Amino acid sequence: MVEQIIMALLNGILLGGVLALLAFGLNLIFGVVKIIHMAYGQFVMLGFYFIYFFYTAWHIPLLLSMAMGIVAMGLIGILVQLVIINPLLKAPRLNQLLALASLIIVVENLAQVIWGADYRGIPLTMPIIQFGEIFIRSSFLIAFIGAILTLGLLYLFLNRTYLGLGIRAVAQDLEMAKGVGINPNVIYYLTQATGGALTGLVAAFFIPIYTVHPHFGASFTLMAFVIVVFGGMGNLLGGFASAFIIGIATSVTAVLSSKEIADILALVLFIGMMMIRPQGLFGTES
Amino acid sequence: MLNVQDLDVFYGEFQAIDNVALKIEKGQTVIVVGPNGAGKSTLLRTIAGLLPPRRGTISFEGQRIDRMEAYHVVENGISLVPEGGRVFPHLSVLDNLKVGSYNKAARAKAQQWMKRIFELFPVLSNRKTQRAGSLSGGERQMLAIARSLMSQPRLIMLDEPSLGLAPLVVDMVFEFVLTMKQEGYTVLLVEQNANKALKVADYAYLIESGKLVFEGRSEDFDKNPYIKTAYLGI
Ligand SMILES: Nc1ncnc2c1ncn2[C@@H]1O[C@H](COP(=O)(O)OP(=O)(O)OP(=O)(O)O)[C@@H](O)[C@H]1O
Ligand SMILES: [Mg+2]
Repeated sequence: MVEQIIMALLNGILLGGVLALLAFGLNLIFGVVKIIHMAYGQFVMLGFYFIYFFYTAWHIPLLLSMAMGIVAMGLIGILVQLVIINPLLKAPRLNQLLALASLIIVVENLAQVIWGADYRGIPLTMPIIQFGEIFIRSSFLIAFIGAILTLGLLYLFLNRTYLGLGIRAVAQDLEMAKGVGINPNVIYYLTQATGGALTGLVAAFFIPIYTVHPHFGASFTLMAFVIVVFGGMGNLLGGFASAFIIGIATSVTAVLSSKEIADILALVLFIGMMMIRPQGLFGTES
Repeated sequence: MLNVQDLDVFYGEFQAIDNVALKIEKGQTVIVVGPNGAGKSTLLRTIAGLLPPRRGTISFEGQRIDRMEAYHVVENGISLVPEGGRVFPHLSVLDNLKVGSYNKAARAKAQQWMKRIFELFPVLSNRKTQRAGSLSGGERQMLAIARSLMSQPRLIMLDEPSLGLAPLVVDMVFEFVLTMKQEGYTVLLVEQNANKALKVADYAYLIESGKLVFEGRSEDFDKNPYIKTAYLGI
């Protein structure tokens, strides 16, 4: 039992890294474009299918298929800005939200029409790493290391480059950002492309772990949303920390009771946070 | 250098600027005075490209800028120091300055300029890594001015830079305006503090409820009995 809990803890941390990527993307889009990307988890599903398609239908080597999936999702991110957000820029918030929510239905049904309702995946055998009584799947470890490296690069990008500075400036004060010479459209597209590419990357990490079906994304939308609200909307550091908190909490609960109870726990944490600290664990009052 | 003609600006149905014309020659310091809500900020924001005018033209160095996006206006050499020492509160002092040099031309020389700025504003050089939101009101105003200089403008527009500052700091701000003038900048200064502003001005405009009601040199303002009682408190 102790080993089981330690393993669940480790898996929670490892999966937390990938969830942190999702939370980062959702937070970035919220912070910069000021919209909640309701179909963010569904984009992971789409990215998964893209990689699956490139690999099985076009027989492109797996790593290249993954890279193409990431690029494709980045382009789809730009498309979202162009086709959905831009026309609704001056519309009431609610309309933007509804348009993005309807994107869930569009994406899920599209997947169903193209790939059917079956579970699909790329069978891969990845080694299991063993420490005494503790077993770790190497696919989890790779996903974790990849996620942390990516987050590190994103951190450097945001803090060391002019474009990163532009993103932070637009997130804080759009009008003043324009006033100092930033073209907000460039920043919006860049943000959506980054957010989209991140869903592609998460999908790539998930390839050896899961199989995909048209409703695969829903739980990740929920998970990402719970994490982001838990850590404070738009707070990148808060999202990072809460990804691990939620990752560990759900993974340990799943071992102690069941996967369903774990999902309920995530929601209870979410609702509890909304009631006690609506600004999130690390959010500021404003 | 800057030529504004027949300018009308609206917020929805409300007309904030009504048929305003204004001219600035290179190297001049021009001020716009007027009471609260007269449309002073609106005028500056329109020139900066943050608001589209409904009617009229704005040209800068012979080029029409009234339909340009704000970022393009900055590239063309105009920089606005917004009201209230508005800085990016969650960015460090250093990043606030860096973001001032966002446009391509300024970026190339940003390092050099940063050095000059820190010589000009020693207060800021001790606070490089501090969050701008934690600065005092006066320091924030300095930072807003310094940030705008980082874009290497030829015309710098200041929106009530002395508002809400202690008298000593107000004097410092006006000294900076004089320094900028000596450095060859063209300055458009908006102020409620007409007394102090007129001392540094080559030419002045008075607007009330969006309309231009008087213009002239500082001496003309001093001689006008209406302005004397209404704005100069003499
Ligand atoms: N975003 C806005 N929407 C609607 N009306 C506005 C807006 N901004 C300003 N106004 C109105 O336009 C008029 C001019 O405002 P503006 O801010 O330009 O005045 P000001 O001369 O800068 O005043 P102050 O000295 O108080 O800064 C005011 O009546 C104001 O209420
Ligand atoms: Mg004003």
